[in-house]
Amino acid sequence: MNPDLLEQWGDRLGVNGLPYLVPIHPQLVHLTLGLFIVAIAFDIVAALFPLDQQVFKFLAIPVTRSSLFDVGWYNLLAAAVITFFTVMAGLFEVSLAVPLADVKSAWGFQALETMILHGVGGVLILTLIVAMAVWRGFQRYRWRRDMARQVQWSYLAAGLFVFALMFAQGTLGAHLGAEFGVHVTADQLLHLGENPNQL
Amino acid sequence: MFKYLPPLNEHNLPYPDTIHPIVVHFVIAMVLFAVFCDVIAYFTKKTKLYEVSWWNLSFATISIFIAVIFGQIEAGLAEPYAASVSALNAHTVLGWSLSVVLAGVTAWRYVIRLQERSQLPIAYLAASVVLVGLVFVQTYLGTLLVWVYGLHTVPVVDAIRGGLT
Repeated sequence: MNPDLLEQWGDRLGVNGLPYLVPIHPQLVHLTLGLFIVAIAFDIVAALFPLDQQVFKFLAIPVTRSSLFDVGWYNLLAAAVITFFTVMAGLFEVSLAVPLADVKSAWGFQALETMILHGVGGVLILTLIVAMAVWRGFQRYRWRRDMARQVQWSYLAAGLFVFALMFAQGTLGAHLGAEFGVHVTADQLLHLGENPNQL
Repeated sequence: MFKYLPPLNEHNLPYPDTIHPIVVHFVIAMVLFAVFCDVIAYFTKKTKLYEVSWWNLSFATISIFIAVIFGQIEAGLAEPYAASVSALNAHTVLGWSLSVVLAGVTAWRYVIRLQERSQLPIAYLAASVVLVGLVFVQTYLGTLLVWVYGLHTVPVVDAIRGGLT
């Protein structure tokens, strides 16, 4: 961001470029990814229930197919709600980013390209998660409410496609922190020529 | 012997990026959501959510052992400089402890679930609250290691290779 504009924050920004100790976006990312991936995973296990129910029997874990689908639905619903906050925190924190400019990531991108791709990717994935929650809701409460298999195969395939997008998105986000030093206090100190042992 | 090990990259890792912070998604999110579902179910009597809670907790328990394995590998390769050592030690001790606590709570939950009660015992809910507290502290310590101390970030690995201790 324009250094003069960052000046408007006065001395409220720390060495990490944030008005607080550690970034919030990566914490919310735990919730978005955990909830979404587990939602799809349980829908897959539930969809393949005729094949995998013997495993639960072998482990002596009582199980009903509908409860596995409940995990698929409620976890997805929670992911859809929380991801608005994940994206919001991400957009705020990227607006305060001061990446190391003379670096190329392992994927060959510069900082600005990585920030733009990660920002666009975030809004895209939010849209897809919300769309999938709506799709999942229609399957659960309308189209397939009386069917043993609550989800369509195409829905599960779409979920796996979103996994691939999340892998790319997550790697770009990791590059922003661990390669461009965005909001990493020690990296910013080293960039200023100072010793991180003062932390 | 060391020449048979895979070479380390600029993150001081034998693979592209840290894996431990990815695996912990499935501990943090699943524990928090499990307890959230329990609390909602406790007050609304929506017993379906107890099942959602149980499955999330089981998933978290499997995940935490994988998280500990990758955590040990990556801690071993972190070569922490002086200022970061105590946070890394605390994160390591709490990580192992949490694997025991989480497995214990999940085992307790397995028994409660077999009894098919309509409500969770208060003692179990109290233990869940302690579990959530420990997860928050552990997440905070791990966050410090990455975002404050920058372990496994390229500039810090560079500085360590240049002599930072």
